[in-house]
Amino acid sequence: MSSTAIRATAARTARPRGPRQSAWIHRRDRRGLWFVIPFLVAFLLFMIAPLGYAIYTSLYTTRIIGGTTFSGAANYTATLQSADFWSGVVRVAIYAAFQIPIMLAIAFFFATIFDLGVAKWGTLFRTIFFVPFAVPAVVGAVMWSFLLEPQFGPFVHIANAVGVHNVDFFSSTLMLPSIVVIVIWEWTGYNMVILYTALKSVPRDVVEAAILDDTPLWKIILRVKLPMVRPAIVLLIFLNLIGALQLFTEPLILYYFQPQAISVNYTPAIYIYWTAIGDGEYNLAAAAAVVLGLVIVVISVGSLAFRRRRGELG
Amino acid sequence: MNATTAVDRAAARGSDEAPPRRSRWLRRKPEDPGNDVIPIEMYGLKRGTTTFLTLVCALFAIFTLIPIAWVMINSTKTQANIFETFGFWFARPFSLFHNFSLLFQNVDGYGTYIQWMGNTALYALLGGGGATALAAFAGYGFARFSFRGSRILFYFVIAALLVPITAITLPLYLVYAKVHLINSIWGMVLPSMVSPVGVYLMRVYVEVSVPRELIDAARLDGAGELRIFFRLALPLMVPGLMTVLLLSIVGVWNNYFLPLIIFSQNRLYPLTVGLGLWAQRAQNSGNAELFPLVVIGGLVTIIPLIALFLVLQRYWRSGLLLGSIAN
Repeated sequence: MSSTAIRATAARTARPRGPRQSAWIHRRDRRGLWFVIPFLVAFLLFMIAPLGYAIYTSLYTTRIIGGTTFSGAANYTATLQSADFWSGVVRVAIYAAFQIPIMLAIAFFFATIFDLGVAKWGTLFRTIFFVPFAVPAVVGAVMWSFLLEPQFGPFVHIANAVGVHNVDFFSSTLMLPSIVVIVIWEWTGYNMVILYTALKSVPRDVVEAAILDDTPLWKIILRVKLPMVRPAIVLLIFLNLIGALQLFTEPLILYYFQPQAISVNYTPAIYIYWTAIGDGEYNLAAAAAVVLGLVIVVISVGSLAFRRRRGELG
Repeated sequence: MNATTAVDRAAARGSDEAPPRRSRWLRRKPEDPGNDVIPIEMYGLKRGTTTFLTLVCALFAIFTLIPIAWVMINSTKTQANIFETFGFWFARPFSLFHNFSLLFQNVDGYGTYIQWMGNTALYALLGGGGATALAAFAGYGFARFSFRGSRILFYFVIAALLVPITAITLPLYLVYAKVHLINSIWGMVLPSMVSPVGVYLMRVYVEVSVPRELIDAARLDGAGELRIFFRLALPLMVPGLMTVLLLSIVGVWNNYFLPLIIFSQNRLYPLTVGLGLWAQRAQNSGNAELFPLVVIGGLVTIIPLIALFLVLQRYWRSGLLLGSIAN
């Protein structure tokens, strides 16, 4: 999202006006509040109030004997010192370190092919690649669980047929790579469409000038086009990073198929889920949710600052 | 300040001329390949390269379609055949219609697919419709009125775009436990109506497509603000409303975490939670009919969504980038 656009729209609202008009306009403009109020009420009740209540809850401790007492930062200390919480964070970091570069490389490769028009039936392929975006994550994860399932999953059969025996995609070593494959399947098309749109906006004459200079194609792609779509790539890196930190649905569905390979602290979101729903430790879970939310907000703000500093707005 | 906007330009052309109907991002037609593509010979590529790259695309297309093909093929099989026959080919007996009929039965006592689908549709329509209505009012209010505090409030709403969905779900659950919204459809519907990204999109949209001069002219004619909104502004906002509606509906349809923790009664489940539950029970309970049920349930879930996306490409493409941030 572009912060320039936000500032531009905000600036446009404040129009210059003469003093004679101002009283009338002021009275008229105040009526605008009535258009905004329904949303604001819902916004306060279902977004701000829960967040406030979560922060409040996270400052207390509930014990079976003794009831609820104020405990200050104790839940935050417990979260930040919890090996369970951090092992989830480390796991999603490892996951992101593989998933994001691989997916963006694939997405950029195909976006370039479609942009150059060097493959046949580009429009058809683009539509096909995008289809998984329409599939809910739960259904996508269930479908892939069937495909990778150790007993009857066709991928194990195929592995056996080509001579690779005893593959277990749900073993604790292969579980994370399996999740990487599932998420790549779900999101490559979406990333590809955004990169394709960015590549399309590279001016044609820049490319033509490079061609006239006898620049080889790979150089045009890597030295001319890639730098010009870098804002889109930076944006996608941050979006995917935020998505990775919230990883929840895919591992939880896989947990249903193979409980041994997905621990209760597999990702931070799953840790929060089990701490709250499984163990009933709402205060601790609230603190963990606040910490995770803050980390993501910091990354989001960081991405905005990063893009602004580089002058890569948009 | 007060840069020449599309609105100003429309006003300059004369007020009797139709205002620009669509903003820039919606006006962009689906790309037309061949129109602006540099001929590949200019890159010094051989014809064989095209064939090779088309093959690479085809391979990735196969990867993309494999799960969907598997689900289609196996929705015609019995449970025994799902286990025992090769996954990518058909087997007798052909039990598609039998499997399909299971969607209308309460097979293992944990719920009926068709009821979950009805729930999902209900939540998506109420939540998506509500989100669109609230966003239309608020976007118009922010775009066309500068009341005291309007800029601060708008920045506040924009800041909420950064709050991740995972961080808001557990807090909602904690509040629901206090106010008895656990196991209530409103616990699902009401938060789905809060769409900061929808407000942002509608505001930008109104800026471009509803001319100030038109509103002022109507005011001089003595029309009330609500009348101006419904009769004048709303018809001009329809394409933007479609984008927000589509994004919100898909958001509710795909939501898993929130319904998972706030619903404990299976008659309230949406499809995502129901299918997740079946997948779990199919794996653990050994019930004879559950695997075909999950397979055909998954197929019936994705077909309308894929159809919806293909038909309405024009609308979702515009809101794609922004919608992703909100989720």
